[in-house]
This record gives sequence, structure tokens and C-alpha cells, in this order.
Amino acid sequence: MSVYRRSIWVFHLNTGSCNACDIEILDVLTPYHDVERFGIKLVASPRHADALLLTGPITKESLPKVIDALLAVPEPKLVIAIGSCTCGGGIWYDTYSTLGGLNELYRVLKEEYGIPEPPTVKVPGCPPRPEAIIYGVALALGIVKQKYSTTKVRVE
Amino acid sequence: MVDVVKTLYEVLGGKILRHEVIRDGVVIDVRPEDLVSVVKGITEGLGGIYTVVVGVDGRGIDNTYHSIYVFSLDELKTYVLIRVRLSPEDPKVESITPIVKGANWGEREVRDLLGIEVLGHPDPRTLILPDGWPSNTYPLRKDFSYCERPRLDNPGSNYVPQRSEEVVALPYGPYHPLLHEPEYFELHVKGETVVDVEYRGFHVHRGIEKLGESRLTYNQVPFVAERICGICGFVHNVCYCQAVENAAGIEVPERALYIRSLVLEVERIHSHLLWLGVACHVLGFDTGFMHAWRIREPVMYLAELLTGSRKTYGINLVGGVRRDVNRDSIEKVVKILKKVKEEYDHFVKSLTSVKEVVKRLEGSGILPKSEAISYGVVGPTARGSGLKRDVRVDHPYAAYKEASFRVPVYSECDNMSRLLVRVDEVYESISIIDQLIDKLPSGPIMAEDVEVPEFREGFSGVEAPRGEDVHYVITGRFSKVYRWKVRAPSYNNIPALKVMLHECPLSDAPLTIASIDPCFSCTDRLVVVDVLTGRKFRVDLRTLARRGKL
Repeated sequence: MSVYRRSIWVFHLNTGSCNACDIEILDVLTPYHDVERFGIKLVASPRHADALLLTGPITKESLPKVIDALLAVPEPKLVIAIGSCTCGGGIWYDTYSTLGGLNELYRVLKEEYGIPEPPTVKVPGCPPRPEAIIYGVALALGIVKQKYSTTKVRVE
Repeated sequence: MVDVVKTLYEVLGGKILRHEVIRDGVVIDVRPEDLVSVVKGITEGLGGIYTVVVGVDGRGIDNTYHSIYVFSLDELKTYVLIRVRLSPEDPKVESITPIVKGANWGEREVRDLLGIEVLGHPDPRTLILPDGWPSNTYPLRKDFSYCERPRLDNPGSNYVPQRSEEVVALPYGPYHPLLHEPEYFELHVKGETVVDVEYRGFHVHRGIEKLGESRLTYNQVPFVAERICGICGFVHNVCYCQAVENAAGIEVPERALYIRSLVLEVERIHSHLLWLGVACHVLGFDTGFMHAWRIREPVMYLAELLTGSRKTYGINLVGGVRRDVNRDSIEKVVKILKKVKEEYDHFVKSLTSVKEVVKRLEGSGILPKSEAISYGVVGPTARGSGLKRDVRVDHPYAAYKEASFRVPVYSECDNMSRLLVRVDEVYESISIIDQLIDKLPSGPIMAEDVEVPEFREGFSGVEAPRGEDVHYVITGRFSKVYRWKVRAPSYNNIPALKVMLHECPLSDAPLTIASIDPCFSCTDRLVVVDVLTGRKFRVDLRTLARRGKL
């Protein structure tokens, strides 16, 4: 996971979230939590970014813009999905105007653009606490180890 | 209420077919052909200010479509709901936008989502649904399933902004460093001056109303209502609960009302501090941004203390609250607020003494009082234009009757007055919390019998940090809501940007847009798609990167 050794610059992309995750992201950047001390910086253009912070369930209207932004991030890129909506669609997983989360976005990317999944860190929570967001980024940087492991179970 | 009904009959005469008094409002039935003259009577004769247009697929109730126009009569302290019933095969209604500018979006929304044709509407474009949404598919009709996902035709084809030799269209958004949410403004610029603005929002339309009407039960909706907006979510939550309580005639215990008011005020403090920070950031005054957010952090801790979580509190249910406050936490609240007030005092003094900040704010983004009334703007935007409108005073709810507070009003109509309104409100909120804590009564926090009868109407307004938030509810069968309509404050404020940005220098445009504290996730609750007739509408980042060189 740790393709980056030093500071990462992030671009924040709201894909239809309710703002709660977004204000927690801003919170992380302001003096109380101050992640700039780790070299994490919010930038204004995806072309300057190493990682994309996605919030929201990805609405149909924002989909083409999200794909454009994702393509604009130079390789090697990283996606950090913040909030339950992005991770799995949340309550919107099957509503009429959303895609229902990150997995659907990756499916669209693979089927229509032939792009493989970028490395992804998911930070669930509604909204996740600032500490959780910092932990997620630290995980991406390889500073901390993941606390759990998963096994896939197939249900017949 | 008797007076209100009497006045209505005096002004409108025989045009009222039937009236019904509900809690916090009066519903009058009129014939569709009388609608325009009735609206004229309400706005000109009684000083009614436009609030919302609600469309209802009433085919399950009386086999008609309803279109309900709500006006707030601030002097009489009530809402009046004008209802017209339309034929189920071919619903058509005359537009009121030519006389009430604010109804523009409301009527387009009714057309998009329910297929009620609005005759004589000046703007034929789609407002809410995503580009390429199939025609004759209306998501809020009852025969449309909430999980249906129609295939969009041709989403995201290239959009070329309009331009002429003199006027250049400048895209601002949808992902702009200064906007934290995806919204698109097209600023028409002549030299350095903005002459017009086009808005294409609704990127955050998630279909909440449909979800609430189809899949959830009464007491599940409050939790989703809180996810309408992450900043002022508790407002929606309270507003929904009050609407259902009004419909069902439930009496909420006093302690629960106090707790609601307390949390609402805590939310207002955090939201205003957040806005002050963002406003400083937009001005390029990042020191102010960092300080505002530093002061805000203890307020978040305070919310956690009272409700158990920093955001999306989840403590409200129909009939009361789920979580009580104890004496320990109240003591801490008082202590924290005292410190917040000290620091805030210092911050505000420094902010308003920075010459550059004051000069940028004064005289920019003017919204005259007459336009403010016509667009029906709410909250600090209205109060910054000399309109004394505050739901806490005009339509008292929760425990606000028990507290005495001042409603700050400034009549300079510029960005500075909108900032000062918010600055003053934080002090008022702190004082309200202190007063409520002193008076906090003991007793139960949940009403005993919570029964909701079917097909009753409820209407409720709550003063959000951004202005008046209203919810309209028709109760339904099987513990479900038949119709749930949300009108967030920014919904009324954003159209007024057209006036504020007119003749405004380009460099002041971002600040002016920020000055109404737009909350797009509230505004867009419904679906996401938007089409300009005849031309495909979408801006990619490449266009954005070329800004200024179109």
C-alpha cells in the first residue's frame, strides 16, 4: 500500500455527500488536528494531487466529473473513501439518483474505460471522526498497520 | 386562528372553497383558475412572503394531484397553505412565477418530479433531474419505485459555454477550490464585472424524499432527515418530527422541547463559526479561517457531550428525544461556553479591525429589501437586508418562548451586514443556552401515546443557521409517511444571487456566493440531473482548467 514515502497531497471531491464528512475533513486540516504537520496538504487541482478524498454515494450527475477528476490525478494514485456512503453506498445503495458507492464507480471505470481499481483505503463512519480519517491516511502511508484482517466467505 | 381565517375571508371573499385550520397554519382550497388572483391577494393584501411549493401525488387519497403554495404571514404569525386540486390524467396549473419570483424553482421542481405542467412559466429548463433522464418518468409519482434506476441517455456530452464579443461566460465549479460542494455557476462577465449568473446545481440529489415516503417508517425518517445536511442536520430532524407531531396532535413533554432547543443552538454556534472561517478563507485571510475553526472545536466536543456524537446526533424521535442530559454534562457545557465566548470575542474584535477584510465586505453583494421580499429570502440573508424574519419569533417552536433574545437586523444589505448578523447571532445563541440551562425542567423526555392517524397534514418551520427550514408531511398508512417535502433555506436564497452578483466585480463573486452560506446538500435533496433545453449541460475539468481563456 505504501507507494508514498513522504508527504501526500490530497484533492477533496464531494460526490453528493451531506457535508458532514466534508467538514470533518476540513476539521482535520485546521489547528486542532493539523495534519499539515505530517505533510498532508489539501490542493486545489487534481493534477497536483497524490490522493483523492472521496465523500458521498456518487450521484449520477456527479459521475462524469468524478471520473474526469480521477483520470486527472497522476500515477501512482490513491483513493481514500471517507464515510459510509462512499464505502458501500450507505442508505442510498439503491436509490434512483445515485450509483450506490465506490464499488459501482470501479465497475463503471473498468467496463467503460478499462481502468483497474486504484489502491483504496476505506474509512467508514457517519461521519468518521477526525481521528479515524487521520488513521486512514496513516494506513495508506504505511505508518500504521491495519488492525484487522478479512476473509471472504461465499454464501451458497 | 379565528382572526386569521376571518382576515383571509375578508381579503379573498368567495374564492375560498373550504378552509381547514391545522397547527401552525391554515389550509385553504381554491379553484385552479382562481390561483393567481388568490396569490396576489395574499402577497399584496396581507404581506405574505413566499415559502414553498409542494406537489403531491394525491391519487391514493382523492384521485387528484395537489399543488400547494405556502406563504408565511409573519405579522399574523401563521402560514397559509393554498391548495389546488388537479385532474389525475392531465395535471396542469397556471404559473405564479410572474408575480412571485421566488416560486421559480418550486414550480420547476413540481414539474420535474411529479409531471405537473406549469403553464406560462418563464423558464422551461429542467431543474433537478440528471442530464439525459428519460421523459415521462417522474420519480415522486407513486407508481415509480424508489429503487428504479432508469438508464440515462447520453450523459456527459460536451458543453460549450455561451459567449459573445463582450460578454464572456466564466465557469465557476462544479469542483472549485473555494466550493466544498459540487455546484456549477456560470458567471457572465463583461470586462471585470459580472452581469449575469446561471446556476446548475442538484449534483447532490440523492432521492431522500422518495426514500422517506417508500421504504422507511415514521421513526426511521428522522435519522435519514439528519443526513440531508451534515452541517445543520439536527434542524431537519427537529422540523420533520414537529411536522408529524403537528399532524397527529402529539404533545411533546417540556424537557424534550428544552433539549431540542439546546442542541439546535449548539448547532447554530458551530455552523456560524464554520461559516466565519470559510468566509475568511474566501477572502484570502487564512489566519482567520484557522482561528475560527480552532474556536469551533470545543463546540463540537460540547455537542458530543450533550448527544453522544460530534455530528448527526440521532437523538430525536416523533414525540420527544431519546437521550437525556445529566447534571454533570450541563456543568461542563456552561464552563466550555464561557471559554468559547471569551475566545470568540477576541476573534471578532480582531476580524472586524482588519482594514482589508472590512473594505472587501462593505458595499459588495447588495440585495435590496424589495428584492429580498420578492425572492422570499430567509435567515441571515434576509436579516442582512433589513427584513426582520426569524422563525423562532414569528412561528415559535420548541422552547424558544421561554428565552428572551434579540434578533439582529442590519439594513446595509451588503456582505458586511450578513456577516455582522451571524456574528451577533452567536452571542445570542450562547445567551439562549445559558437561559435554557437555568430553566431546564425535570420530567419525562418522551410523549406517552404516540399514535399517528392516517392522511393528516402537518407543516412546520425551524430556524436553521442559514434561515427558515420547512417540512410538510401527509401521514399515511402502515406507519409510513405519504408525502414528505423538505424545503431547505438555501433553496430560497440561491436564486437571489442573481441580484447580488449583478454589476459586482469578479473578485467579489466568490465572497458574495459564500455570503449566503449556501448549503447545496440541503437544497438538492431530491434527484441529480439537469438539462438545459436544446443544449447539453456539463462542464468537465478541462473546461475548468481553461477558465478565463474560453
